Amino acid sequence: MQGYIHSFESMAAVDGEGVRYAVFLSGCPLRCVFCHNPDTWNMTGTLMTPEELVNKVSKYNPYFKNNGGVTFTGGEPLLQAEFIRKTVPLLKEKGINYIVDTSGSVELTDSVKYVLENAQGVILDLKFPDNEGYLKYTGHTMEKTLEMLGFLESIGKSTRIRTVIIPGINDTEEEIQKYLMHIKDKKCIYKYELLAFHTMGFFKYEELKIENPLKDTKPLDVSVKDRLQKFVNSNLGKSIDI
Amino acid sequence: MENYKRNFNEGNWNNTIDVSDFIKRNYTPYEGDASFLSGTTPRTDRVKKRVEELIIEETKKGGVLDIDTERVSSLLTYEPGYVIKEDDLIVGLQTDEPLKRAVNPFAGYRNAVQACKAYGYEIGENIKDEFRYRTTHNTGVFRVYTETMRKARHAGILTGLPDAYARGRIIGDYRRIALYGMDYLIRERKADKERIGERDMTDDTIRLLEDISRQLEFMNDLVIMAKQYGCDITRPAENAREAIQWLYFGYLGAVKEQNGAANSIGRISAFLDIYIERDIKEGTLDEKGAQELIDDLVIKMRLVRHLRTPEYNDLFAGDPVWVTCSLAGMCEDGRTMVTKTCYRFLQTLYNLGPSAEPNITVLWAQGLPQTFKDFCAKVSIDTDSIQYENDDVMRKDFGDDYSIACCVSAMKTGKQMQFFGARCNLAKVLLMALNGGKDEIYGEQIAPEGKVFDEKTLDYEEVLEAFKTYAAWMAKLYVNTMNVIHHMHDKYAYERLMMSFHDVEPERLMAFGISGLSVLADSLSAIKYARVTPKKDENGLITDFDIEGDFPKYGNDDDRADSIAKWITEFFYSELCKTKTYRNARHTLSILTITSNVVYGKKTGATPDGRKKGEAFAPGANPMHGRDKEGALASLNSVAKINYGCCMDGISNTFSITPEALGTDEDNRVENLTTVLDGYFAQDAHHLNVNVLNRQKLIDAMNDPTLYPTLTIRVSGYAVNFNKLTKDKQLEVISRTFHEKM
Repeated sequence: MQGYIHSFESMAAVDGEGVRYAVFLSGCPLRCVFCHNPDTWNMTGTLMTPEELVNKVSKYNPYFKNNGGVTFTGGEPLLQAEFIRKTVPLLKEKGINYIVDTSGSVELTDSVKYVLENAQGVILDLKFPDNEGYLKYTGHTMEKTLEMLGFLESIGKSTRIRTVIIPGINDTEEEIQKYLMHIKDKKCIYKYELLAFHTMGFFKYEELKIENPLKDTKPLDVSVKDRLQKFVNSNLGKSIDI
Repeated sequence: MENYKRNFNEGNWNNTIDVSDFIKRNYTPYEGDASFLSGTTPRTDRVKKRVEELIIEETKKGGVLDIDTERVSSLLTYEPGYVIKEDDLIVGLQTDEPLKRAVNPFAGYRNAVQACKAYGYEIGENIKDEFRYRTTHNTGVFRVYTETMRKARHAGILTGLPDAYARGRIIGDYRRIALYGMDYLIRERKADKERIGERDMTDDTIRLLEDISRQLEFMNDLVIMAKQYGCDITRPAENAREAIQWLYFGYLGAVKEQNGAANSIGRISAFLDIYIERDIKEGTLDEKGAQELIDDLVIKMRLVRHLRTPEYNDLFAGDPVWVTCSLAGMCEDGRTMVTKTCYRFLQTLYNLGPSAEPNITVLWAQGLPQTFKDFCAKVSIDTDSIQYENDDVMRKDFGDDYSIACCVSAMKTGKQMQFFGARCNLAKVLLMALNGGKDEIYGEQIAPEGKVFDEKTLDYEEVLEAFKTYAAWMAKLYVNTMNVIHHMHDKYAYERLMMSFHDVEPERLMAFGISGLSVLADSLSAIKYARVTPKKDENGLITDFDIEGDFPKYGNDDDRADSIAKWITEFFYSELCKTKTYRNARHTLSILTITSNVVYGKKTGATPDGRKKGEAFAPGANPMHGRDKEGALASLNSVAKINYGCCMDGISNTFSITPEALGTDEDNRVENLTTVLDGYFAQDAHHLNVNVLNRQKLIDAMNDPTLYPTLTIRVSGYAVNFNKLTKDKQLEVISRTFHEKM
């Protein structure tokens, strides 16, 4: 069994709790217009066995206290849920935790469920509040993402929701209200985090010679994101630790 | 005498000079947080304001405020000087005015003349006369240098050698003055002299006896110098203020006598804390007063200046003095050596603002209190002014009373000294090996003639053999060159005062250095894993390389490349050890370049790793800029593999990360930074400079220095005010790898 690995980032402190080692897995079913990692879309990259991956990752064990560990991201890491499933027991042997950073746009297979159940936590993208947005900007419906959120709620898995705020698309309180409808009643969600759209991935579109639908969009003013985050926090109340 | 010792626990320190014993029996470990700390007093604010004005004036005048060109610097040359006479709590300046520089030609007369000239001054007639008939260290060295030594120096294979300037790096144990008083110390040293005088009068004995007599002369001068400031240091210090003052007098005398590259102050926080705690208990001092004393001492440290030539500044940019002040660490009995005074020193970075000096060095141990770790991380994030060194690793060899000199050089305080030896450019040695002993820039035959490699794909084993041959030759030349330098330094520019605050026969370390480690490791990796073909110029000299295919690079936690870097240091160290040293010094090795990595790069042709001719090296043990592709921790892990056992003079690594990549908010950043430091040092890594800032901030500061007048950054082992760097050094710093988030 081998997995396609796009790349590694040994210091990914912001994608989850503690100091994290990010494993970028290749392949993604979505084609989000605001994607900053279009180079991970295709199922290519370095092939590694679970053993090889865990050997590499365990060299960072000294940094994994305070809830740190591995973050499986991508791409859509759960496209390779089989591979992660084989990796998980080896990680556990070394006492290494992991979280999954997913768009939720995969079938809830047994492997996917296993990977989610054993994770320390999950970061789930809620890219748009409705099917209209999803279809327009990602090429898929939001059905699977909502199913996954339902599953996470049913197993009580500690979940962080993320949304990228894009100028002119979802950067208003009105829009944010719609997202909150999906979040408010979920006990498994401990954090709802907004990210500001940035253009640091634009060069990849040029390198890959693929069209960048948002090439004329400017990075989001961080103060707008901060204001919306405050709005989110005040709406979600105290039960959510931000 | 008894009153000085009131409430102190007695021990071996009462029988003999043993400061470490005094500290262990009397210090109070502190495991609490930073909430007890005080801000500035109105007095501190006044002095601080005066210093700021002076520094602005100094900058306006091109970096040097004034020079006393009529007198030669020594302990009694100048009348007492003050920042604000009625406000100075801790008194004493190098000359009679703050920031006025002294002329000190003992290590090199020509340098002193040129340094004056560079700032529009002319050296006084009387100094000219005096040095017409006096041999300086520099003259002595060049009398003996062989043709080969001169060539290696000229080509820049051996660079930055202390043969025209003072060697520095020696730390007197100035605490002894406060604890024992000068009368006792002088008496002891005289007794040493009598005892040693009983030996056979060999060269070694005679030299040592002359050393001692020179020490005694300056010990007496120090007493007079203190008297001029109204202080009687013949007796021990009676309270905290006196302890700080007595200790500072020792340091001040040393920087009046010597203008060595690094003048570090040692490990003084637990020692001073004992006096501060006693005064607080006795009700004669409160926290505000204690902080005020430390603030004033630090102000004095920030005012130390030496007169340097522009060439010197090219090597060591930003006018550094390396008033390195070592904090924290663990006691061998398992207690932390963190005291409230460690916090007070860190607090000066808030009270007085961020600063390059003193070079605050935290001796990091896994066992330090978490509260202290968190505070250090916070100070790093806020000021970029501190560096970290692994106490758990150093304590094994140096015990628990060592100090750091300069950037990363450990030595037992008062018991070891070092002969500083700059560094050998090993990347250039590889090019020399490929060119059969010729320098790749000038084409000059430097080493014995050997085979010049053909314009065919290089064979790794063959290259490695050639490299080993030339590196071995180089190591021998390097040791011998150092022997000449330090013989002459002892003879003509001996550190009388600093050495008087050492045991009479201290252990000597001879500190060699490597530059170009990452370039060499990647070059060998390229030859091993890719296909590298040399290209020759019209004179048949290899000056460039064709590289086909990819190869593993140092800095990605990839053993294929990292093991080469590790091997290089182990191999070169073992070669150095084969040649006997002057005064039987122990060989040590550092991987540290300070800012000289820019100059070394300029003097080095294109290398097989794809680095272009003249391009800057990475600093210290850092991976080359932009080649570490797997992020910050992979880079740290690579450096952590270098074996401290063969690099006991330090392995310098500089780590720059943007605040956003370090964490989501301040608490999270503090937590992550302490986790990173713990994780790195748990792997027996040695040193880390930490910068938490954005590249854009540096670019803005370069374009408009007034935006961030006190912007301090850590570069290879020390902190520097960014605005004091030349443009090419600023650009080099900006080009360094910043760990950013995507």
